[in-house]
Amino acid sequence: MMNPPPDRDWKRVALAGMRDALSLPAWVVGFGLIGVGSLASDVGYPVEVAVLSTMLVWAGPSQVIFFASIAAGAAWSAIAIAVGFASLRFLPMTVAILPLLRRPGQGIWVQLLLAHYVAVTSWTEGLRRLPDVPPQQRVAYFLGFANTCMATSSIGTFLGYYLIGALPIPFAAGLMCLTPIFFLASLSAGLRHRGDAAAIVLGLALAPICDRFIGGGFDLIVAGLIAGSVAFALRPRKRARPEQS
Amino acid sequence: MTQPIPWLDGPLWPYLALLLFAVLPTEIWRWLAVIFSRRIDADSPALDWVRAVATALLAGIVAKLIVTPPGALAAVPLPLRIAALAVTLGIMLFDRRRVMLAVLAGEATLIGGAWWLLPG
Repeated sequence: MMNPPPDRDWKRVALAGMRDALSLPAWVVGFGLIGVGSLASDVGYPVEVAVLSTMLVWAGPSQVIFFASIAAGAAWSAIAIAVGFASLRFLPMTVAILPLLRRPGQGIWVQLLLAHYVAVTSWTEGLRRLPDVPPQQRVAYFLGFANTCMATSSIGTFLGYYLIGALPIPFAAGLMCLTPIFFLASLSAGLRHRGDAAAIVLGLALAPICDRFIGGGFDLIVAGLIAGSVAFALRPRKRARPEQS
Repeated sequence: MTQPIPWLDGPLWPYLALLLFAVLPTEIWRWLAVIFSRRIDADSPALDWVRAVATALLAGIVAKLIVTPPGALAAVPLPLRIAALAVTLGIMLFDRRRVMLAVLAGEATLIGGAWWLLPG
């Protein structure tokens, strides 16, 4: 295989990530974050705070909780706890994706930077696409992909701040619904075995039940732990001995 | 509206609130993951478990956004919201590469249905 100069190679790989992001996911997260912009304008926060929330929080559900809770008059401590629980999923998600991105000699600051980009879309798409990318190109590819998503999302947030109030309800509802619809499509696209299917089905079923019976913002993490553990028990064994198969 | 904390109030309050009550509680998990992931083997069953929990949590968020939706989505009746998800899931189960088609079909179901059902 021909090896192009490392510098050009880096840019080419980052551009490939950018192109893959623009093939659909970057547009969908961008549209999805329009709703966050409208929530922020609703509570009277500056448009800069709305766009910064997209770049610094980089988690649609956390941003929705933050602005919607302020609108509802929740206590600051309750807002922080709810956001913390909604974001707890980033711990397992980041732990799961870092092995794909880690390289020998990579500093902790690079890993902290890469971890910042972990959100639903970059995670599901990253887990699906990164294994096909050569290991030494993955960081450039991932940063190209994730930064493109962040750019379109910042634009979406900015537009939403000024736009969404002008839309008729069916279209406003459609924008709000883009997030769950895309999350579900991405999850199903990444299905590998019956354990994954069980995690999705049980997560869908348990979350509303836990929402009803467990208070204080703990419902989602309880649903996720139960559904995920059952799915883990149902997964096919990786290293089954040949004579058993 | 949640009022600013008095002794921290000022023109920069919205920025401070964002950092303290949204950025910090979100970013902390990513930082902890970087610290913990160095001690976890990529092929370990622990990582399989962690991935299963994360997948279930995401599915849980989907269900929560549909069952107790934010803003304008709440104006759409629950059966229609579920129908939009079902259309998306049905297409994905039929052909997993059709992400774009599945998203657009789910959206068309929701917007089209809302257009029919909602007054004005």
